[in-house]
Amino acid sequence: MRYVATIHVRPKIEVRDPQGEAIVGALNSLGLGVANVRTGKEIVVTFDAADEAAARRATDVMGRELLANPVIEDFSVELSGP
Amino acid sequence: MARVAILRFPGTWSDRDFEHALSLAGAETEILWHEDVHLSGFDAAIVPGGFAYGDHVRAGAIARLSPAIRELRRFAEEGKPVLGSCNGFQILCEAGLLPGALTRNVGLEFRCDWVRMRIESDATPFTRGLKGAEVRMPIAHGEGCWVADEKTVERVEAEGLVVFRYVDERGAATAAGNPNGSLHNVAGLRSAAGNVVGLMPHPERCAEPLMGGTDGMKVLDGLVRSLGTAPAPLGV
Repeated sequence: MRYVATIHVRPKIEVRDPQGEAIVGALNSLGLGVANVRTGKEIVVTFDAADEAAARRATDVMGRELLANPVIEDFSVELSGP
Repeated sequence: MARVAILRFPGTWSDRDFEHALSLAGAETEILWHEDVHLSGFDAAIVPGGFAYGDHVRAGAIARLSPAIRELRRFAEEGKPVLGSCNGFQILCEAGLLPGALTRNVGLEFRCDWVRMRIESDATPFTRGLKGAEVRMPIAHGEGCWVADEKTVERVEAEGLVVFRYVDERGAATAAGNPNGSLHNVAGLRSAAGNVVGLMPHPERCAEPLMGGTDGMKVLDGLVRSLGTAPAPLGV
């Protein structure tokens, strides 16, 4: 079965996000009252798995082993199936 | 003669500089392609700087999955000296051989500059007798900001795992002396056993007067000296 996982990776809340800090400054230069910005990335993976449980296990491996560094980042997964 | 392995990943660029600097220190070196790394017969291993796998995903994240890292982990567990510089430090952290992680410099600038550091630990084969010494080395990185959770930072300090700390011109660990926003001005760390060391600066790029400094040789000479006292490796 073909699955599509949308994996969001974000710096943990206690980790500084210099990119987010730069965006705060830029947005405020547009005259907006922005207090805080946190950035992250979205990784969309198309892959095959036997069933939904196997697909979820696979996305967990993707997140833990490569896409996020558990020391500094959290990840979440949205899975859409066939 | 001390035999030092230098690992090369796709995108590694400081391997030849390490080869040159280690030859000045009197070591025999071999550059090993990461898919074919066998470390038996070597006394120490270097993970040089560069952009392994183009820093895709995160600096060091893909290199960490290479078979070379399994071999390096085994080698480190035997107590053999391992040094990672710049991208090599990032790879060692990603691999869990050193604590914490290296992330985007605060201010987002790529910094190419000389920094001052104080050597805070001599419990490594690279820094014996150098505790308290101040050294000057070049950096060239965009992701050298060392971070870890509060507990890890406390443990790193309590166990004396900081080997290199950024300092200002007066020798104080201030924000002015910190090029990238690293917590506690951490520039380099050691493992609990002391044989694995990583640092963001480049000792291989300050190895003779022509390069503008020679402090890198203190670390590489230290390694070769420490190997000189060890028994000769098998098969050599």
